[in-house]
Amino acid sequence: MEWIDHVILLSSGLIVLSILVGLVSTRFGAPLLLVFLILGMLAGEDGPGGIQFSNFYVAYTVGSLALAIILFDGGLRTERKDFRDVLAPAATLSSVGVVITAAITGLAAKWFMGIGWIEGLLVGAIVASTDAAAVFFLLSVRGVRLRGRLRATLEVEAGLNDPMAVFLTITFLTILQTGAASPLDTAQTLMTHAIVQLLGGVVFGVLGGSLLLAIVNRLTLSVGLYPVLAVAGGLFVFAAAQTFGASGFLAVYLAGYVFGRRRHKATQVIERFTDGMAWLAQIAMFLILGLLITPSKLLPMLAASIGIAAVLILVARPVAGFLCLWPYKYSTREIGFISWVGLRGAVPIYLGTIPILAGIPGSQEWFSVVYMVVITSLVVQGWTIGLAGRWLHVVLPPRPAAPPRVDIDLPHDIGKDMLAYTVQPGSLAMRRSMARLPLPDEVALVSIIRDGEIRNASELEHLAPGDDVLLLTTQEHVALLDRVFGTKDGARDTAVDLLGEFVFASDTPTGAVAAMYDVKVPANQRGVPLGQFMETHLLTRPSAGKRLRLGAIELIVAETRKDRITRVAIELEPMEGSIRRFDPALIWMRSVLWLPLETRLIRLLPKVPKPVWWRR
Amino acid sequence: MGTVPLTNGFAMEIQHLLSPDSVYSGLKASSKRQALQELAERASTVTGIPAREILETILGRERLGTTGVGQGVAIPHGRLEKINRLYGLFARLDDPIDFESIDDQPVDLIFMLLAPESAGADHLKALAKVSRLLRDRAMCDKLRGADGPGALYALLTQNPAQTNAA
Repeated sequence: MEWIDHVILLSSGLIVLSILVGLVSTRFGAPLLLVFLILGMLAGEDGPGGIQFSNFYVAYTVGSLALAIILFDGGLRTERKDFRDVLAPAATLSSVGVVITAAITGLAAKWFMGIGWIEGLLVGAIVASTDAAAVFFLLSVRGVRLRGRLRATLEVEAGLNDPMAVFLTITFLTILQTGAASPLDTAQTLMTHAIVQLLGGVVFGVLGGSLLLAIVNRLTLSVGLYPVLAVAGGLFVFAAAQTFGASGFLAVYLAGYVFGRRRHKATQVIERFTDGMAWLAQIAMFLILGLLITPSKLLPMLAASIGIAAVLILVARPVAGFLCLWPYKYSTREIGFISWVGLRGAVPIYLGTIPILAGIPGSQEWFSVVYMVVITSLVVQGWTIGLAGRWLHVVLPPRPAAPPRVDIDLPHDIGKDMLAYTVQPGSLAMRRSMARLPLPDEVALVSIIRDGEIRNASELEHLAPGDDVLLLTTQEHVALLDRVFGTKDGARDTAVDLLGEFVFASDTPTGAVAAMYDVKVPANQRGVPLGQFMETHLLTRPSAGKRLRLGAIELIVAETRKDRITRVAIELEPMEGSIRRFDPALIWMRSVLWLPLETRLIRLLPKVPKPVWWRR
Repeated sequence: MGTVPLTNGFAMEIQHLLSPDSVYSGLKASSKRQALQELAERASTVTGIPAREILETILGRERLGTTGVGQGVAIPHGRLEKINRLYGLFARLDDPIDFESIDDQPVDLIFMLLAPESAGADHLKALAKVSRLLRDRAMCDKLRGADGPGALYALLTQNPAQTNAA
């Protein structure tokens, strides 16, 4: 049994080494995942490690497990607000976009590799999905902050497009194997597959996530067991969906999302655990995939691989990005950035093993190509992510340090979070009197601890630095509270971001403000109160900080009460390309053609009963 | 880290808006209206526009919403047909007055900005510039401590790179 010790020694040693080397590599900005991959290669048969490993089954199993965990963790972390805002564009990008990417890249593959149509499309499908973990790891390492919508779009896209790529791959593979005779059969196979995979994935994900949530909330376990239960539950959903022919990847991502939507008693400990698990999964997957490949076998396909990678990066992804996002009013810069950071990661390599396992002739060659396409993408795009963001002006100034906030898990889920802040010198909380603290209705001040003693809020006139404040709040106000209790250092930009220059009551006529700042508004909208104007044209539920571009200025929701806007701020010099742009013609068209119907629809919306996991 | 440029072309500077003789320290007023009237009269001598007309424009803007932006600062502004460039006036009050500011703090620093009807983007740039300048708490503290109009003017027009290291 000595070999088992050797296996453990080798694998743990490789993981430790990966982390250490990764730490060094971030100093010069090398994409971390590439480092893991190269370490795997070095340990393999062509490198000094000399480990013989060509077991595609093991690679596939580890890959499945790792991806399921990464997607579950990704789902857990997706913000509900962002998710709803970007769901439509992200879903388009990860369905239609993946098909377009796969098709164009497939054509390139057919041409560069001299293979058949279906084979080419199979290769295209394999490399069609993006890697969220890779993108966000790189962004955070460089200290690059993206505007909310951009970040969320990339994140949700990456969560949703893996299932699509998996499904396309399986579909083309099935066609290859069964040799679909006529185009009609092919189309039918595709459609049936799509419906079963996607619908099944959604059903399994939503049901599984809700069930998991119910279980975690009902059971009283030792704290350490909650995350284990959650991860096991997520994997169970994944495997169950796969067993029934549905997309396990979609299911596990949605299960994570549904499960993470409501705060529950173990939110903290579970998130910390899955974060670590996701890291381990990334490292293990890339190491194994590095081990799996024999670099010397890659060389013959080098030219074809680079050609395909070039088409993918320079043609397929930008075309898909533009076609999918343009209807959602993304600016050219945003589309440009999203197109550039379509980073490929482990999914394509993992998908590349499937044809090999299925015993398709020539699939070893395809695998080499896929492998090199991913490496090219990691090197070229991964290394230039920060540069692209700055060049396209889509990055935000670095965020001031977050205030010292502690989240407290409550024994029962009450739909609110308990937060504790230490009041910072110079914070807004300190400068204002207790009575005038800008706390929304949904936020309750529970208690104030000063010098180790609990003080009654009504007795204190001012907060002092060092006071600990306990608050009960809904999740959506956490960002506001961070600003209230945080320091004001470097706050100029934050303040501009948050408040804009001037504030108006919501009943100020839109036309008057527009005339003042030289903005054009259609005649039939000029008499509309500013608040109502924003509510109508925002297209999402208004919340503080939401912005609407109007000509050269931006309107900002400064304050809401029960979903109605009560105050509106304006920013005179907004950053370019940040948000939905509304030119007068568009506003006029909406107000004449669509608005009467839409207003009625919006009124209907809240009456639709919402699933339990959605409510909060 | 790199910062995001806020303007692409011409950078609006305070000295383009404000001349040294449009800066006043120790203005006396007991109400918002009175302070604005004092400033309107001073603006009238520079622009040649009747003070009443200027005051009406400024008060018209105040009726839409206060320009008291908080921390004791107000930036009243308006657009006039008959002027041909941007005019700025700055005054520090001896005694702070109620300005219906968004944070309810009394106001003692007032920057009035008058723009021609045709100014368009320049008007917005100038307002944004003034707003950013006076949002800086350190700058406001210095303005409150400065000795006379000359010192105020020097502070207002100094290179922002020297004040905002962050």
